[in-house]
This record gives sequence, C-alpha cells and structure tokens, in this order.
Amino acid sequence: MKQKKAQWPWHLLTVVVLVGLAGALYYATSLMSYEWRWNRVPQYFAYQAETSQRAADISTVVELVRKGDMAEVTLRNDAGVEQKLTVADNSLQVARGDDVAEGDVVGVTRQWALGPLMWGLWTTLWLSVVSGILGLAIGLATGLCRLSKNPTLRDLSTIYVELVRGTPLLVQIFIFYFFIGTVLNLSREFAGIAALSLFTGAYVAEIVRAGVQSITRGQDEAARSLGLSASQSMRHVVLPQAFKRVLPPLAGQFISLVKDTSLVSVIAITELLKSGREVITTSFSPFEILFCVAGLYLLINLPLSKMASRLERRLAQSD
Amino acid sequence: MIEVRDLVKVFDTRGQVVRAVDHVTTQVAKGEVLVVIGPSGSGKSTFLRCLNGLEEFDSGSVSIDGLQLADPKTDVNAYRREVGMVFQHFNLFPHMTVLENLCLAQKVVRKRGKQEREAKALALLEKVGIAQKAREFPSRLSGGQQQRVAIARALAMEPKVMLFDEPTSALDPEMVGEVLDVMKTLALEGMTMVCVTHEMGFAREVADRVLFFDHGKLLEDAAPAEFFNTPKDPRAQAFLRQVL
Repeated sequence: MKQKKAQWPWHLLTVVVLVGLAGALYYATSLMSYEWRWNRVPQYFAYQAETSQRAADISTVVELVRKGDMAEVTLRNDAGVEQKLTVADNSLQVARGDDVAEGDVVGVTRQWALGPLMWGLWTTLWLSVVSGILGLAIGLATGLCRLSKNPTLRDLSTIYVELVRGTPLLVQIFIFYFFIGTVLNLSREFAGIAALSLFTGAYVAEIVRAGVQSITRGQDEAARSLGLSASQSMRHVVLPQAFKRVLPPLAGQFISLVKDTSLVSVIAITELLKSGREVITTSFSPFEILFCVAGLYLLINLPLSKMASRLERRLAQSD
Repeated sequence: MIEVRDLVKVFDTRGQVVRAVDHVTTQVAKGEVLVVIGPSGSGKSTFLRCLNGLEEFDSGSVSIDGLQLADPKTDVNAYRREVGMVFQHFNLFPHMTVLENLCLAQKVVRKRGKQEREAKALALLEKVGIAQKAREFPSRLSGGQQQRVAIARALAMEPKVMLFDEPTSALDPEMVGEVLDVMKTLALEGMTMVCVTHEMGFAREVADRVLFFDHGKLLEDAAPAEFFNTPKDPRAQAFLRQVL
C-alpha cells in the first residue's frame, strides 16, 4: 500500500536552502565591503520633479498668502500689472515687500514624474508587444508556407527559418540597424522591432508547423469529406486544435522575446536594461539597480506564464 | 448513380509497389446498398477513399451523377458535399461540442443560418438517438455514441451517397449494434450506401450487392445470398471459411 508522506518538511528544506544561499551572498558582498544603498533606488522609479516659477518683470511682492504647504505670491510691476504665482511653501525665495528682477526664481512647484527605470520598462513593454504581435503573424504565415504544397513557398520559408535560427540575434540586430537601416534609412526603433519580430517569427513558424503536423490526418480528412476547402479545414478544424497544443512552447517563445528585447540596447534604444545602466552611472549602486532590472523583467514574465497556463486550462475543457 | 471505370491506385513507397486498387469497374444504382468485404490490405478502404477523392487515383474514372471526379474542371469540394463519409476512428472534431460538429460544415459550406442548421442538427441527433448529448464534447461520449454523431454529421450535409469505412471496427462489441441499427435505418430509407465492413450479418441482411476484394482486385460482385451460399472465386471461398 502506498503511504501518504507529509510534504511540508521538504518545503521547509527548500526555504532553508534559499535562506542559506541568500546568507552566503550577503556574506560574500560584505567581504568586498560593498555598501548597499537601497534608499537611493526609489527615486529612479518615480521622483518629484521641480519646475521653477519666475518673475515676468521687475516688480515687488505685494501679497503673500500661505495655503497649506503652498504659497500664493502676487507681484506687481511699475505699470501696475499683477502676476500671481503658486509655489511650494518650503521653496519660497521671497518675502513680502521684496523687489524681484525679471527672471528671478520665486519658488518651485513639484509634481510626481516617472523615473528612468519606469520609462525603460515602458519601452521594453511596447517593444515586446509590437514585436510579439508581428512575430506571431509572420510565424503563422511562414509555418503554413512550410507545410504548403507549393515548392517555392516551401523553399523560401525554409531558407528564412534556417537563416534566422542559424545566426545570433545580436548579429541580426546589428545588420538590421547598420546595414538595412542605413540603406533604407530606418529609425533605430524600426530596425529593432524588425529584427526582433523576424527572429520571433522564425521560431513561431517552427512551433506552428509542429503543431499542425501533430494533428492527425483524420481531422483534415473528415473536414474535407464534409466539403470544406483546404483553407477552411485549416482555419476551422486544424489550427484551433494545433493552437491549443502549441500554447506552452508559444508562451515560452514570448517570454524569451521579452528578455531578448534587452539586446536592442546595443543600438541605443533606451529600454529597461539600458536605462538601468544609465542609472548605474549616476547612482553608483550597480548591484541594487541590476537586481531591480531583473525584478522588473520578472514582473512582466511571471504574469505572462500565469496567463498562458490559465488559457491552457480553459482550452483543455473539451478534453 | 456511382460509376467506377477501370480504377487503378498504386502505392509506391521506397521502391515497394503495391497495387491497392487494380482495374476495378463497377456501378451503384440510386438507393442501392453495397457492402465491400475482403481481408485486410485487400484495398477495399483505398477503393472507398478513391470514391470521394481523399485518395488520388492513378488512372480510370469515378463519377457520381455524371460528375467526373478526375476532371480538372470539377470542383472537388462541391463534389464532396454530395458524398458523406464515416470513418473507422470517427474523426469528430474534439474542440467542438456535438452540436458544433454537426453545424460547422452546414455553416461554412452550405451557408445555412443559425436557426436552420441547429434545427437540422438536433433533428438528426434525435434520429440517431443522442439528442440529449448535443452540448457535450465528443470526449464525453462512448465510441458507439461518437460514431452515431459522425453519421449524423455526414447526414447534415444531405449527401446523395454515404460511404462507410469500417464504421464498427474500432468499437467495443456491445456498441456495434447501435451503430449498425442506424445504418440499417438509413438503408431502409433509400440512402445510396457503400460500406466497407467486417460485419457479415449486416452484409447478409441489408446489402443489395456484396463486393469481394483481394490484392486490389474485385473478385466477386454478387447478391448476398448468392455470395454467402455459393461463392465462385476460390479466395472468396477461403475467406468465408475463415470468417463464418
């Protein structure tokens, strides 16, 4: 008889191992006397941007009203024209009766602004989404061409897939930016997206081909025997089943794509990795920032794989 | 109604040449029920698949109601609309419910409206005795039920001819009866049918003619009483000794 053994001691061991690893890491960094300054990190996500409020003309401060942490300053020039400025109270540079010259700073207003890491995250996100959608479309078309009866379509799609899969993405990005981009006068974003989506397309094509081939011939035969054309059978019978089957590798491909967008930093697209590296040059906190960058990639990819497994479960209801 | 003339189908795989259908000539009249029997590998399934173009034949001709299958001007999809087929392994679409299985071709090929196609589908499911399973996925059905759905799916296109490719061979023995009953009803209603089967009882009871195949050749073409009682060909005699 099979005995039910408790699982929790093993999970506890997992926690112990993880804590041990973290401790070892902490000890290692303490040996090289690295100073952790996590308090410097948040400003690179979001910060209070300051806008200077200046006097428009040579004038006198005629009124000063404090409202909470804001101050309302009224200036009047020689001609009697009044200028009203609202500034942060603790940045106030003038007092009642002061004279100010044209362009003098009266104070600043503050508002929240996104830091470089958030802008990098946004760039990475839209690059991934656009390249992903294009890559899926290219991959679907190429995958079907690979299965086509037409020899030219088959040859061309095979050459494309082999060329792309046989060369490093980094090289492709350089070629797209420096060669094709120069010849056709493409922007760096365009070159980056083109390289990423063509790269993803080649892999998606192979996934699509494998998926379609995994559906038994009987399905297509049944559809054709009912009078459906080859394309109708593909669209209504084969592809829906194939899609369900290739969802896990497809999700893996998109997760790879999100990570691969970090490579376009080499053609000076300020995505997440590049903005992280820029932040490091001003913050002098390389470890903290790199951990944050890694965390932000995880923040995109973990929900992505969660979504994929959710979709997979929903599609499995007919099994 | 069906005319087959000098049909030849050769399989050539890695130098091994197999004449799966070897100069077969026959015809089926409207409302006639043909049963095709023979040992496995005798080419009877290939012959059946040639009748609706699932298998491309090498020479000869097949026509239904005068429409030549091999003629390049013939729209093979339009041709297949008129020929229903039931497979050994059912080949229901697993990602669709039973009702959707019956409605797909009606919608895509016949362009029927939603109400019309669903009414038709439900009436056919009623006829094959599984109306209550309309909203289920095929995986929830027994083999016999799946095969009856497959028959209903083919009938939904209102075909002129029904082809059956060993429809009961993949079923548990207790489920064979329910499928054969549906086929018998169809035969009584005057459907033109060609059935490849190993069910000798069905052949004896329902068939108008029995065709016996071996090594791709049509060796016997006779009424069931004549075929089962006094087979002429020695190979048919040997086959019948084995199966009866």
